[in-house]
Amino acid sequence: MTSIRDSDRPGAGGRIETVARFAAIVFASAVILFPVYWMVLSSLRSSAESLSFPPPLLPHAIDLSAYLQLFTDKPIGHWLLLSTLVATLTVIGTIILVIPAAYALSRLYWPGRTAVGLLLLFTQMMPGAVVVAPVLTLYRQLGWTDNLLTLALLHTAFVVPLCAWVLKTSFDAVPKEIVEAALIDGCDRWKVLWLVVLPLTRPGLVAVSVIAFFASWNEYLFASTLITRNELYTASLGLATLMTQLDTPLFVLMAAGVTFSILPVFFYMAIQRHLLRGLTAGAVKG
Amino acid sequence: MQGDRSRRRYQEDQLALATALPETAIRRARRPRTPSGVVGSRSFPYLLVLPMLLLEGALILYPIVRGALYSLETPDGLGLDNYAQMLVDPDFWRMIGRTLVFTISVDVIILSVGLSLALLMNWSFRGRGLFRSLLTIPWAIPEVPVAITFVLMLDPSFGVLNAFVRFFSGADESPQWLLDPTLAMGIIIVVTVWKGFPFYSLVLLSALQAVPDELYEAARIDGAGRIAQFRYITIPGISSSLALLAVLGFIYSTQQFTLIWLITGGGPVDATTTLAPAIYMQAFRFYNFNYAGVIAVVGFLISAVSTIAFVAVQRRQQVPE
Repeated sequence: MTSIRDSDRPGAGGRIETVARFAAIVFASAVILFPVYWMVLSSLRSSAESLSFPPPLLPHAIDLSAYLQLFTDKPIGHWLLLSTLVATLTVIGTIILVIPAAYALSRLYWPGRTAVGLLLLFTQMMPGAVVVAPVLTLYRQLGWTDNLLTLALLHTAFVVPLCAWVLKTSFDAVPKEIVEAALIDGCDRWKVLWLVVLPLTRPGLVAVSVIAFFASWNEYLFASTLITRNELYTASLGLATLMTQLDTPLFVLMAAGVTFSILPVFFYMAIQRHLLRGLTAGAVKG
Repeated sequence: MQGDRSRRRYQEDQLALATALPETAIRRARRPRTPSGVVGSRSFPYLLVLPMLLLEGALILYPIVRGALYSLETPDGLGLDNYAQMLVDPDFWRMIGRTLVFTISVDVIILSVGLSLALLMNWSFRGRGLFRSLLTIPWAIPEVPVAITFVLMLDPSFGVLNAFVRFFSGADESPQWLLDPTLAMGIIIVVTVWKGFPFYSLVLLSALQAVPDELYEAARIDGAGRIAQFRYITIPGISSSLALLAVLGFIYSTQQFTLIWLITGGGPVDATTTLAPAIYMQAFRFYNFNYAGVIAVVGFLISAVSTIAFVAVQRRQQVPE
């Protein structure tokens, strides 16, 4: 057999190609990340600097006054707290509903299972805007508007289909033999679930929690329709309001954007591989 | 409780069997009744999915039905008048046209950008992990801050993009990004792609990495060049992922509301009013719930068709394997 040089491997070319590829990646990253850079940079400007044109591409000095002004003048702490509350409630609701459902979809065989799977897929694909008007009417009739608990319930309804799917694929990966062995050793169905299956699917549970948390944290359409009282504003609502208020200084607005994004960016980066595997295992074979 | 009863039954079974049979025989004896190896009463699976189905039914399916009923309401009882109005309404067809332009552009661009970056990254180099993580950032930033950032960058008086455009074109005037219908549409397409592409890139990257190296080696031994390898090995190897991502991209763009709403508000006039903002406008600007219901039914049909397409693509990809 002809020996294959290392450089013949797919993707690894000669020296020139290596340099070209690396340059292309760096260039693409620079273009892609420019808005992120700009967002952070603009939040670190002083008020005087933020209105100059053309705007300087590099920071002159790091000025944290925007953040100071944000936290003293705007109720951002309160908004973030409420967002955290709604998102946490959404995670709790999702986990409670999704564990038994995913277990039934993955481990049990019953007539109608495919139909439920299709229903989940369908609800996941449906644009929220399709139901926004009837949901508002329903919530008004029930007296559920301006209520963070019922907002979390709605967020749960929207994120459950995806999460059930992600957790199902995670349950699918638990070998049948382990479950059977546990049953033979005298575990009942609940014990099999709690003591055998769940501990083995911890990554799936983490992925589901992160998906649910940030789906709620980021959600704007329903929050803006169902919440009207200022003191109940979540961060996405508060931020959108700052955006339309012309008296909010731009660098304060950008500081608010950065503050709101830190948590999701941190989590997505930390569990990116997990998240991707969970999101794609069922749908896309990698 | 269900669990207790089955445990008792199981323990009785085991008592009866354990004395006479070795363990493997117990396993074999239990198998015919419960193919999955999990003992269960017939209603147990339904009990497990019931809470989830109740919530979905109450907060998603019921509102869909209710929205569909709005669409049938007319001043003289239920009827198809609203649909008749829709069919002859040029604004409706323009909205559908814009929605198609938006969704198809986003889908095509997001797949092309996603695949190009995946191909660039499909190569082991120092710092790949870092680039992967950095590329996740647009996907992780919530939509509201994304909208804020782009609005700031496009601001006619001090937006940084104006500085770039003026520098490269030599013009003195800043383009009126959000006041020109074509530019505004282009901008929401770019922002929607920017926010969503990391997912597509990362999925395609893992699909590329799953293509066996041996195939490339065999092709090279047979004298296949770069382009032939890409055409006959890479593309077939990732085609099923590409097909599913195409459906997902279509849905992602059809659902898009927040970015469009906060960046252009559907404007200028209605140049960027795609399906989701159109429903919102009809319902909450014009308080025309009936017409909003008609457009919502169209949205419902689009998601139903997408679901079918998704399942069909997925089935097809499972057959050969």
